Formats: sequence, C-alpha cells, structure tokens
Amino acid sequence: MKRWLIPALLALLAALALYPIGATGYGIRVMLQLFMWITLAQSWNLISGLTGYVSFGHVAFFGMGAYTTAILVAKSGWPWLPASLAGGVMAMVLAVVIGWPCLRLKGPYFAIAMLGLNEVLRVAVSYFEGLTGGGSGLSMPALDASVRIYYAMGLSALGVTALTWRIVTSRFGLRLMTIREDEVAAEAMGINTFRYKLYAFLLSAVGAGIVGGLAARDQGYIEPISVFPLVTTITMIVMVLFGGKGTIWGPVLGAVLLFTLQELIWARFPSAHPLLMGAIIVAVVLAMPRGILGVLQMRYNLPRTI
Amino acid sequence: MLGQVVISGLLAGALYAMVALGLGLIFGVMRVLNVAHGPLLMLGAYTTFWLFHFLGLSPYLSLLVSMPALFLVGAVLQRFLVRRVVDAPELSSLLLTFGISIAVVNLAQLAFTSDLRSVEYLTGSFRLGPFAFSKSRVIACAAAALITAAAFFFLKKTRVGKAIRAVSQSREVAQVCGIDVQRIHLIAFGIATALAAAGGTLVSVMIAIQPEMGQVYTFKSFLVIVLGGAGNYPGALLGGLLLGLIEQLSSLFLTTQVNEAVAYVLLVLVLLVRPTGLLGGRAS
Repeated sequence: MKRWLIPALLALLAALALYPIGATGYGIRVMLQLFMWITLAQSWNLISGLTGYVSFGHVAFFGMGAYTTAILVAKSGWPWLPASLAGGVMAMVLAVVIGWPCLRLKGPYFAIAMLGLNEVLRVAVSYFEGLTGGGSGLSMPALDASVRIYYAMGLSALGVTALTWRIVTSRFGLRLMTIREDEVAAEAMGINTFRYKLYAFLLSAVGAGIVGGLAARDQGYIEPISVFPLVTTITMIVMVLFGGKGTIWGPVLGAVLLFTLQELIWARFPSAHPLLMGAIIVAVVLAMPRGILGVLQMRYNLPRTI
Repeated sequence: MLGQVVISGLLAGALYAMVALGLGLIFGVMRVLNVAHGPLLMLGAYTTFWLFHFLGLSPYLSLLVSMPALFLVGAVLQRFLVRRVVDAPELSSLLLTFGISIAVVNLAQLAFTSDLRSVEYLTGSFRLGPFAFSKSRVIACAAAALITAAAFFFLKKTRVGKAIRAVSQSREVAQVCGIDVQRIHLIAFGIATALAAAGGTLVSVMIAIQPEMGQVYTFKSFLVIVLGGAGNYPGALLGGLLLGLIEQLSSLFLTTQVNEAVAYVLLVLVLLVRPTGLLGGRAS
C-alpha cells in the first residue's frame, strides 16, 4: 500500500501546484477556500481531536489573524505575506492568553469558556473603533494576488497536515492522546498535562491565524460579524468529525467532502442552508461519531497513524 | 435612580432565573448543555404571537398553550435525538443541540419570515413613589416567580419531582431504586422546554419577536447556571437575579454595545475563579 501512496500524493501535489495555470479566477477562489477549510479543520483537530478539549470558539484565532493582517495592511501598508504571518503570531499570543487560564477547566466548562471568549473578542473588536474600524469594518486597498494567495493557502494546508503527521507519530502526540483518554492517568504517569495541552493549543492557533490573515487579504474587507461567527467553528468541528477526529487525514477528507457538498448542492438553496447544515450535524453526530476514517480503522484494523 | 435600577434588575432577573432553571434541569439530570434552549424560547414567543394575532388571545393566557406545546416538542426532541447522546462525550451533545438550534431558527425564518413582530398588549406603567415600571415587566416578573415556585414545589414535593432530583444526584442509584431513568429524562427535558416557552411568552410582550431572538437567552442561561453552580437548582434563582442586577447596574456606566460583553466576561471569570458556582455545585 505504501508503495503507491507516496507517488499518488506527489502527483496530487503537482497537479494542485500546476492548477492555477489553466484555471479560471472562480476555480482558483474555490480551491483557495477549500485549502482554508482544510487548514481550519486540521487546526481544530490538533487541540480537540488529539487532547479531547473541545475548543468551541476556535474561530477566535481565525478572527485574530484576520484583524492583525487587515490592520497591518490598511494602517501600516505591510505586504500581505508578512502581515498574514504576523496574524499567525498574534493568534499564538492569544492562545497563550486564553489557554493559560482556561486549559485548567474541564469538560463542558472549557467549551463554554471558549464560546464566551469568542463573543468577548467580537465585542472588543467592535469597541476599539480607532484601530479596527468598529462595526463598520476595515477595508484594504485592492490587490490582485489570488494566485499567490492560492499557493500560500495551499502551503498552510500542507504545513498543518504535515505538522499533524509529525505530532501523531511522535511521543508528544502520544502524550496528547493519553490526556484525551484519561487525564488523571496521564498525570500519574508523570506527564505535565497542562504544558502539553498548552503546546497543542498554541500549534492549533497558528494555522488558523495565518489563514485568517490570508482570507482577510483576499476578501479585502472584514467586519466583526464576518470573522467571528460561531458557525465557522461548528463547520470546522463537523468537518473533523465527518472525516474522523484524532486522525491525520480525517480532517482533510471531511473538509473536502463537506466543502464540495456545500458548493454543489447547498449553494442552490441559500435560504435553507442552516437547515441542511443542522441536518448534517445531527446525522454525523448520531450515525457516525467516529467519522469515516474512524469507521474504516475499526473495520479494517488500519493503523492509528492514518 | 439606583433604586429604579435595582428593581428593574430584579424584575429581569426573575425571568432569567426561570429560563435558566430549564437549562440547569437538563444539565443536572443528563449532563447535556442544551444550546437549543434559546431557539425553543423563540418558538414559545411565536406561539403567543400567532395566538394573539389570529384569535386575539391574551398573551398571559397563551401560557396555557405555549407551555404544554413546547413540553411536547421537548419530549419529542429528547425521545428521538438527545437521548442518544446522553452518555456520549460533551462534544456530541453540544454539536447535536447546536444542529437542532440552527435548524429550528432556519425553519422559523422559512415559516414566519425574519420580519420583526410584536404583541401590543399591555402598555403603560405602574408608578410607585418615585419609581415607574412598565406593566408588562412587572407582570412578567410575577408570572415567572409563580412558575418558578411551582417548578420548585414540583421538584421538592411530588414523586416525579423527587425522582428527577434523584436521577440528577446519581443515575445508577436511581435506577437501582426502580426509577425509570428514560422516562425521567423525557419529563425533565419537557419541563425544561416548557420553562423556556414560558420565558418566550413573557418576553414577547416586551421585545420584538424574530427568529434569532433566542440565542442570547442560551448564553445568559449558561451564565446563570454557572453563577449558581451547575446542577444546583436553587443556585439558578440566585444566578438569575444576580445577572439581572449586574446587567442593569453595568448599563449605567457602559454603552449598550459594551454592555453586551459584560455577561460573557462574567461567564469566563466565574468559570475561572469559581467553576462550581457561587453556592457550590458539582464540578464535572
């Protein structure tokens, strides 16, 4: 199996790298968004899929990256790439500020705290009008860079997937999964659980921050409600759950499937979009909480590092 | 000024306490955080609106319709959906109820449109010395207090109520004592939704009715049960009144926009400083 897997992956990467040559502007936009969703799903998987701590406000890091980038571009005239990387750095800073106190909370309490913090951030962004433009948003000068942003998004998706692979196949990953299975036992085995949870949280913030910045630059305009919506967090979670949480390829698979479904079918029924999304969520949670890869793992005895 | 604010806060708080008691009941009995609590409140408000619109039924009498109707909705949701995630990790129940929540809001948008509706029933205000209070708020507070008292009486004195408290203390022991846990879950979820519906009915006279009116009550109810201590039912009362007071007091100093964040900041702070609630509940 391994023998054809690596050439196939390389061929896929080459095809994606050459894609912008023949593609329309619309096609590039669609793929760029798919890469964004893969990165977001993969980021959420890093903290919640591996440690079991449900980050119910993960879009906060996306929003943090978006606002950092937009402010640097619009107020200080930074180029888009360093501005987006700065977005990733600021998302990590936010992760320390949030994670330091909140990762001590257990179970549903951590989830509610993240939910609340995301709302606090949204209101704070609306409040500091001088810096963020408040509720009326922030515009950046026009820029024709969707091909370059396509590559940057693609690299983010690749990077965070490679990072997940590196973590899942390492001792660090084992420690995280031990925390997920039984935190008290992990502690008893001498794992400094708080430290590893914080590391995982930081790593899960950086990718989301970078693609937040890239997405903001690509759209050219952001406002509080467009970068901090709860439904973005939920979409990440459903993608991961659909594909298989705690796996390497599950978030990629889930993102591709759910995004395709959204583009092909739901786009035709915009007014019933939430209803369909709600139905999908209920179906995934009830019918296959382990996700596609989880089910395959069980049935065919596949390795943990899939 | 301060007196007026304190009394307004308590009036609002009684309503919060009643709605949050529902959320707390579901959490206490089955460890499920029901994100759809607010949207179910919205359905209660619409029930009242349509009864008033077509039949001219008094909003307060429509409590007799909205509460049983939403009890049924809650029981159906529990029987077919929520029941299957009761023992799953919190992610499953959070996501499931979130899915229900957006589906319910979207259905309301499709069925009732997003137009703002209002029930123009009881306008004007009572005067009490230097203070003035709108009649609808005073009556809402009184009704909420009555309903909450009835709910507590039910929990304390009746067999089913005692069974509900037993299940929320320990499901296994309750089962050993011969309590039908599934039935108790069904009843508790129904009562919880009926309490949300009562909240919807009572606020329908005060604020604009629209499909997205409910979500904010989900958050506020989270805060109330966190303040009072999850699984601690009298704590919900204290939490509700406190939230009403804090919101009103902070509105003296803060703009409406920032005031919106007060509840969330408080939520996070209380979780960090005292995750078992002010009265002490059961941490999970």
